[in-house]
Amino acid sequence: MNRTRPVRFLALLATAGLLVAACGDDDDDTAGTDAPSGTEAPAGTEAPAGTDAPAGTEAPAGTEAPAAETTVPPPPTNPPPQELGTGTGEGGTIRLWLNGEADTPDAMVEYAVAEFNKVHPDVKVVLERQQWTGIVERQTTALSGSDAPDLVEFGNTQAQAFEAAGALIDLTDRAADLGGDDFLQSLLEAGTYDGELYAAPYYAGARIMIYRKDLFEASGIEVPTTLEEMVAAGQQLMEDNADVANFSGIYLPARNWHAVMSFIWEHGGDIATQEGDQWVGQLDSPESIAGFEFFKNAFDTANAAPADGDDATDWLAFCAGEVGMMPAPGWKPGQIINPDDGCPDMEANIGVFAMPGLEAGSTAPVFLGGSNLGIPTNSENQDLAYDLLKVMVSSGFQKQFAENGTIPALKSELANVAGSDAAVAQATAAENSRFVPTSEKWAGVEAANVLQDMLTQIAQGDDIAEVTAQADAAIEDTLNG
Amino acid sequence: MAVATTAATGVGNPPVTAARRRRSSALPYVLVLPAIIVLGAMLGYPLVRLGTMSLQEYGLPQVFGKPAPWVGFANFRAILEDSYFWTVLWRTLIFCFVNVALTMVLGVLIALLLEALGKRMRLFVSASLIIAWAMPALTATIVWQWLFDTEYGLVNWALDRQGESWWADQLTFFMVATIIVVWMGIPFIAFTTYAALTQIPTDMIEAAKLDGAGFRQTFRHIVFPAVKPILLILTALSVIWDFRVFTQIYVLQRAGGITRDTNLLGVFAYRISIGENRFDIGAAVAIVMLLITALLTVAYLRAMLKQEEV
Repeated sequence: MNRTRPVRFLALLATAGLLVAACGDDDDDTAGTDAPSGTEAPAGTEAPAGTDAPAGTEAPAGTEAPAAETTVPPPPTNPPPQELGTGTGEGGTIRLWLNGEADTPDAMVEYAVAEFNKVHPDVKVVLERQQWTGIVERQTTALSGSDAPDLVEFGNTQAQAFEAAGALIDLTDRAADLGGDDFLQSLLEAGTYDGELYAAPYYAGARIMIYRKDLFEASGIEVPTTLEEMVAAGQQLMEDNADVANFSGIYLPARNWHAVMSFIWEHGGDIATQEGDQWVGQLDSPESIAGFEFFKNAFDTANAAPADGDDATDWLAFCAGEVGMMPAPGWKPGQIINPDDGCPDMEANIGVFAMPGLEAGSTAPVFLGGSNLGIPTNSENQDLAYDLLKVMVSSGFQKQFAENGTIPALKSELANVAGSDAAVAQATAAENSRFVPTSEKWAGVEAANVLQDMLTQIAQGDDIAEVTAQADAAIEDTLNG
Repeated sequence: MAVATTAATGVGNPPVTAARRRRSSALPYVLVLPAIIVLGAMLGYPLVRLGTMSLQEYGLPQVFGKPAPWVGFANFRAILEDSYFWTVLWRTLIFCFVNVALTMVLGVLIALLLEALGKRMRLFVSASLIIAWAMPALTATIVWQWLFDTEYGLVNWALDRQGESWWADQLTFFMVATIIVVWMGIPFIAFTTYAALTQIPTDMIEAAKLDGAGFRQTFRHIVFPAVKPILLILTALSVIWDFRVFTQIYVLQRAGGITRDTNLLGVFAYRISIGENRFDIGAAVAIVMLLITALLTVAYLRAMLKQEEV
């Protein structure tokens, strides 16, 4: 007995060691899987001192890789980094993070880099496009590391958290040099924290309705002038195109909360309002609930998109002929007709209008999207990044946004938004635009998918009063916590 | 073991010098040093960091350089007083229990099948298992996600229920998650158990058969006791793996699962830390997870040691 006890103890130790090793191996596996996903690698491999503790025990930020939000295979992944321009690289390399597939068209980035290379012919610019899905997590990891990108695009609802944390350098002294009073007010607010400017306005976008002119004509439908008419038109299209599988009169996947909020705002509801220093959730107010009931009716009767889907792949559905009309950002027509995975043939059939309100002749409030550009505190090339930033807020660059149907960040370029139908509709829509609660803690609400989950539940037929009250509690918890 | 052996040789040969004895007893430690250093750097440092962070106020501002004040056990108090944390904890334990049970039962059954099969079929089954095992969790989950996709999934197409979501309902969400986790867990259990089965002397089984024992009796009295230690270790490992499950849940949540209804502890800690930038609270959750894992493991190891003594 006595002789076997030490051996047993050793066996116990060895087993414990094996178990620990097993855990370690598993973590390695997880990290390994994220390597193939292109630009995700920086976020996964950086392991910055600040964030590595949680990552150490849990599957790390690397698992973020898939951003597999889509319901259509293959899932979108970040494209590989692109070297742009003629920079030799002798004077250094700067990394530019832009979000989304086509929010800033390739041609515009090439223009910006060419302008930048006129001043800095020896500096190479690498473009790393990031999926919107999971962007906050990726930016947190990347910006806190020593290998931070040099110029980064932030969604206007998400910028505040980074500004409050000191993740971006203060641009207040150089604000006049960048654009000063010419910047759009709402974007300036998104880029300002505690009176200091940290992120320069980049572009804005209001949501509009995109429709199929040919299908409207075939069904004998006019462009709707009220929300009720719009839903009726959607139902009519459903009926007339019943032979097309998955056809939606109004393509309205429930998790597209940016679009659904229009119904809530138009009925007088809101997400949350500030009373004193406390945020109070308004999703279960009678006005909001009327809006959600309106959404539920449209979802059930005019839509075939799923309750658990979002708008990540809406242009593919549009190209597949499964969409009569859909709410989308102003740059969406450009994505629909892009030659890589879009359908250029569809161009003649794309029409646009501003989403109407309940009264004829009015428009529904739309979510004012947009982006700001900031330079991370941990960037090693802040001066070079500033010069690139300056190009990207210049009128020569911003004018192209207007021409692409995006609202530019400069008021002086707004006149050029007269270029296309989409731009005009968008400018009309933008006159009546709304925003999420301006709090640096709002990013936490988005990260927890509170609104998306609530909408999925409503679309599935759960009790509206109950799920909205739940969402209110979650939002108050985060914003006041 | 090495220490015991050298000590034994020392006793057997009295005329060795003291110096030599000291050197030979130091050698094993020198040999094990690199492994300890690597483990210390890879696991020890993050663990210490996690521990300190759970006792501090640590949010996004601290990540970018602000000093982190000490707050004692306030973070732990915050999560233990949060009823949602307990919901997630129980959900995780139930998910873990169901998955481990299914993985073990199916894994052992497949091991028995492997032993019973002929050469060619055994090769075929082994190859299938290897492929399932070799697939990275992320890839596997995305493939399964597509199979169960709401609009374009093979399963919905076969059942003619297009448009019905598997993700939006808590129960069906965890059903699919369980399928994926169990599917990925079975190969390791099956192979290891099969290896253990091949170590049972065939004459014992033959003798049992001669004495008139059927399959059930043979399994209960000969096969099961022989592989029991292995099964205990496998169960302990499975508990650890399934308790910390992350990738499958996280990816399926993105496919359309209701985040609040489907969070397990691992994903929960990640969302608090990386999503809400509350690294302090996230660290506290992770520490609690670690303690639970350690408790479960110790319980199993003790059970195993007792088993040996009998």
